[in-house]
Amino acid sequence: MSDDVADVLIIGAGASGAAVAWSLAETRMRIVCLEQGDWVNPSAYPTNSANWETQAFGPWNIDPNVRGLETDYPINNDDSECAVVNFNGVGGSTVLYGAHFPRLHPSDFKVKSLDGVADDWPIDYATLEPYFAENDRMMGVSGIAGDPMYPPKDPPLPPIAMGLVGETLARGYNKLGWHWWPSDSAIISEPYEDRDRCLYLGPCMSGCSQGGKSSTDITYWPKAVQRGVELRTRCRVREVTLDERGLADGVVYYDENGNECRQRAEIVIMACNGVGTPRILLNSKSSRFPDGLANRSGLVGKNLMFHVFGYVQGVFAERLDSHKGPVACCILSKQFYETDAARGFVRGYNMQIVRGSGPLGTAMAGFASGAVPWGKGHHEAFAKQFDHTAAIGIVGEDLPEEHNTVTLDPELVDSDGIPAPKITYKYSENSLKLMQHGLERGEEVMRAAGAADVMSAGPVRPSGWHLMGTARMGDDPATSVVNRWGRSHDVKNLFVVDGSIFVTSGGVNCASTIQACALYIADSIKKNLTNLFD
Amino acid sequence: MSNEPVLNDSQRALLPALLDTIVPASAEREMPSAAEVDFDAYLATQGQGAVPMLQAVLESLGPGFADLSADERHARLSELQSQQIALFSSLLACVYDCYYQDPSVRVKIGMVRGPVFPQGNEVAQGDLSLLDPVIENADAHRYRAPR
Ligand SMILES: Cc1cc2nc3c(=O)[nH]c(=O)nc-3n(C[C@H](O)[C@H](O)[C@H](O)COP(=O)(O)OP(=O)(O)OC[C@H]3O[C@@H](n4cnc5c(N)ncnc54)[C@H](O)[C@@H]3O)c2cc1C
Ligand code: SF4
Repeated sequence: MSDDVADVLIIGAGASGAAVAWSLAETRMRIVCLEQGDWVNPSAYPTNSANWETQAFGPWNIDPNVRGLETDYPINNDDSECAVVNFNGVGGSTVLYGAHFPRLHPSDFKVKSLDGVADDWPIDYATLEPYFAENDRMMGVSGIAGDPMYPPKDPPLPPIAMGLVGETLARGYNKLGWHWWPSDSAIISEPYEDRDRCLYLGPCMSGCSQGGKSSTDITYWPKAVQRGVELRTRCRVREVTLDERGLADGVVYYDENGNECRQRAEIVIMACNGVGTPRILLNSKSSRFPDGLANRSGLVGKNLMFHVFGYVQGVFAERLDSHKGPVACCILSKQFYETDAARGFVRGYNMQIVRGSGPLGTAMAGFASGAVPWGKGHHEAFAKQFDHTAAIGIVGEDLPEEHNTVTLDPELVDSDGIPAPKITYKYSENSLKLMQHGLERGEEVMRAAGAADVMSAGPVRPSGWHLMGTARMGDDPATSVVNRWGRSHDVKNLFVVDGSIFVTSGGVNCASTIQACALYIADSIKKNLTNLFD
Repeated sequence: MSNEPVLNDSQRALLPALLDTIVPASAEREMPSAAEVDFDAYLATQGQGAVPMLQAVLESLGPGFADLSADERHARLSELQSQQIALFSSLLACVYDCYYQDPSVRVKIGMVRGPVFPQGNEVAQGDLSLLDPVIENADAHRYRAPR
């Protein structure tokens, strides 16, 4: 296969890889995508079994170090206050994501101009607006138009039912006069294209058996493959290689049996996420790039951002049916999204209302907190908690700091011997103050909504689901890795389309913006095809 | 012959007392005890991995455990909890996992009997007129436009 040259080679078949593949496919170029994981069979998801909760804690764990599948790579989180979570397979982390689907706000792209911190993005909300809309249509997004916290937008499907959890907390927000709105959700509330609607099973974060959740293995990929994209699974890329002109000319990868293979290409696109992409770039060393490919700025792997995450839980006297319905998609509040100097920190956070746990989660969490004893009194205490809780996730903006990094671990390797990523990460004082504020305001909402008991915790460690900043976008090659349309400043036929390119994190979940960026970069590639290498 | 570890007869004889101590029946709530659900079937199908843990627990409780009063059994298990918290947590996770999968238990706590897919759940849309105050107050909630 070594003299087989693809026009475009995409590495990673997750949220961004799928979007860029689908969009580029209309050019009829020969597009190959290499993905280290497999297609997931929906009948393998835990909700097909009564013991779905145990499976979600074990073989379907969101932490790859616990899951430990052959298709996963280990991640050294020892020097990090936050542990990375992900999924490796067709669909990438969207296979396990919560599908809460807010866009970054207009202000998020301009935090330097507005608040004097970090940097502005070289692009803005208006640049991405058509791509957000296209992505909403492609993924199948449910929501309701009119949220004053955004410029006008119109989700293609009506909102996911907010149920008693949403209603109860909405009353709390109204009592306080605070903003709230039904979440934009990458979950289909009605049949859409060839997919049937969400069945309100609950545990979307261990995979959706129904296909109601818009993971890219069932949205973009079937259409991209139909358009002629070749998606090759169980292919784990070790490094991107260069030709004598200093252009990327392909990759070296390992197939399912550990054989070393080569795929040549005219254009290489990295879509391995904010940890996987810097890992492979740093591992692609050459005499031209002794510190890793596309790394003349020295910024590959630096400025890692997660989002600081904590939660507030309320227990209510009345039954809320909280185990029913998509756990991460209900309503949200942006009351504290923007900077207010009086609060003692800059930027802000999203309050994401989260539904309740299943019975095993309720009993075990109750054991840990002391709220649900084993033995005498178990049933009474269990009944007070199960289906009687609601939670608020506090998702706060994490500003970029160069000392938060992805590097190559000197010892740990994956099953093919490729160095594992090592995460070095510490929450800033700003993040911790923001979190404290969020937890206190969350408690206020719970009380206003009538919660009998309220507890809160944050930052929470296994919350590294949003991986951003490690190959940042910018106009200046000295302070950024890729330009305003995702092209490496150093290697003209190398692109990055995943969360690595984020300049700042915003205070909302990032999948929608990652995909809008990927579609925008694909369009930029199409527009510049004739002068791509100038 | 499989090499899977199995509980021996004396260990099996202690199991009901152990299960009943962790989740006793509640007449008032009409909930069965964990000793009344099919723990054997659970062990045979899903819980094989838990057998060494159960053996360690049952060995540490000793053969007289079943003859103790309910309060004494509770005290004995509390002792185990304070001495070996990791072992005890695994024990709880295993017993709750089995108990809360039992179809009769699930129905009593308001869940569907078996796997949640494909049956699914009904969730009410909720009262969207609750948004009226947010809409009426839209100017106070307007997004911040960059300069
Ligand atoms: C449990 C969980 C919950 C989440 N909830 C939400 C949510 O509610 N809302 C939201 O917006 N976001 C959520 N996220 C985050 C969201 O899923 C990610 O931000 C998004 O999927 C990232 O897209 P990506 O394309 O950058 O990477 P991914 O989707 O992670 O895809 C990367 C792909 O690259 C492949 N890959 C990596 N390295 C290699 C290699 N060397 N060779 C070949 N293939 C490789 C991986 O196997 C993977 O399939 C969640 C994530 C998780 C894990
Ligand atoms: S709640 Fe809806 S989206 Fe989530 S797993 Fe169930 S059917 Fe899928």
